[in-house]
Amino acid sequence: MKNNIIILGGGQAGIYAAREIRQNDTESNIKILSEENLLPYERPPLSKDFLLDKKNEDDLYFHSIEVLKNENIDFENVLINKVDFEHKKLFSKNEDVYTYDSLLISTGSDSKRLSLDNNLNDDVYYLRNLEEAKIIKEKVSDKNKITIIGGGFIGLEIASSLSQLQKKVTVIEIGNQLMGRIIPKQIADLVQNTHIEQGNEIILNKQIDKIIKKNGIYEILLNDNSIIETDFVIAGIGSTPSVKLFENTNLKLDNGIVTNQFCETSIKDVYAAGDVCNFYHPFYERNMRLESYQHAQNHGICAGKNIAGVKTEYTSIPWMWSDQFNLNLQLTGICDDYDEIIARGNDINNGVIYFFLKNKIIKGACGLGIAGKVGRDIRITSKLTEKNTIVDKQILLDQNQKLNKLIQKQ
Amino acid sequence: MSEENWIEVGSTDSIEEEDLIRFDHQDKTFCVYRLTDGFYATDGICTHEAVHLEDGLVMDDEIECPMHQGIFNIKSGEALSPPACEDLKTYPVKVDNDKIFIKID
Repeated sequence: MKNNIIILGGGQAGIYAAREIRQNDTESNIKILSEENLLPYERPPLSKDFLLDKKNEDDLYFHSIEVLKNENIDFENVLINKVDFEHKKLFSKNEDVYTYDSLLISTGSDSKRLSLDNNLNDDVYYLRNLEEAKIIKEKVSDKNKITIIGGGFIGLEIASSLSQLQKKVTVIEIGNQLMGRIIPKQIADLVQNTHIEQGNEIILNKQIDKIIKKNGIYEILLNDNSIIETDFVIAGIGSTPSVKLFENTNLKLDNGIVTNQFCETSIKDVYAAGDVCNFYHPFYERNMRLESYQHAQNHGICAGKNIAGVKTEYTSIPWMWSDQFNLNLQLTGICDDYDEIIARGNDINNGVIYFFLKNKIIKGACGLGIAGKVGRDIRITSKLTEKNTIVDKQILLDQNQKLNKLIQKQ
Repeated sequence: MSEENWIEVGSTDSIEEEDLIRFDHQDKTFCVYRLTDGFYATDGICTHEAVHLEDGLVMDDEIECPMHQGIFNIKSGEALSPPACEDLKTYPVKVDNDKIFIKID
């Protein structure tokens, strides 16, 4: 049956969904509506290789327009500002009407903004999309002292890149460790040491009281009355799902669009995928919201299958990475519920991994190493986690014993 | 094929099954794999970012990059999963008297 399928949001989840639908359904019309006038592109390099000029804009696109044309996927740059779920219609700012049979919402997430009580809100920069990355790249070129508010992944990746561009970087983090929400302190401390060795200043346990601008220089007042002088301010303090368009509709929202394991929302024929979803994960038997490359891709693919009528549960074990300087950090599983931690290795040159176990079953791991040193073991951990494997602790502890053995035994 | 382009990598027992070793020759790095049906060779550096595939996971006929999980078919070099999109170069391999040789062009 030929349907009109609309994908609202032209990011990674949207493009993977579109191509997956086409693989399973050669008949239907597929149209991506994107607020950004850019084909879907990879975001991880924005804070790293793009700032460092190792990758340019053309290197970031997932696919050329020819690929989309060949697969008969329409892409339109348009700002949608009203949704009528009852009549299955979307309305643009210019009052164009788009009618769908099935809708996928993949609108992603927005940067949380600092709320400053003076008129300096526009003086703080954020990095979530290509336009913002271009602005930061251009603006920092003649600046020296850069302050980054927020010691999470994005802030630290920007700090790493700007340090490599010979900037004097200060990172201010409200918590008592970097990447506090999800990374073990031991790993956070190793990352912090590398930043300090490379000349970055890391300030923990401090809150911003105020930012003042004097003669083009900013003074950041902290809650211990200390003052950081800086030429440029960037904030990376988290994100919120992009759901503003749906706030006065019947769509069920709760920290994002609530979906089941099939990417179905509370409204029939409306699906959602990627950062914007608070989705049910059948393996963990609970809802969660994730923001990562792997999730955007796999969740988009899963939504695409379901829209095309191939009923598929989303069961991916979460995995994410962060690259800072020559370090590669990887995290797999959900590591907030454990009764034992096992450390493998103590030297980042060979990789350091902390495994999280509950009732002797492996639940996930976080690793840090030079380049790809932890990748294989983290990947194996994902596979072991997926199978609720009880593992031999001695093998985990001993870096000379390959973890491949554990999966081959499955 | 001229004989001089076959470079000795090592003995066949230097690689466990479903595993790989890194092999450096002049200024290039290769990965040599032992799969269930024989030995294979590819470039040793991921086509996505400059990272050594020697730390990657070999599963069935695939090598997965340890840094960002791009996946390549070891036998054809085909990039199978993003972020890898450029294929990996492969090289002929032969075994002679329990020694592995790869043909570098």
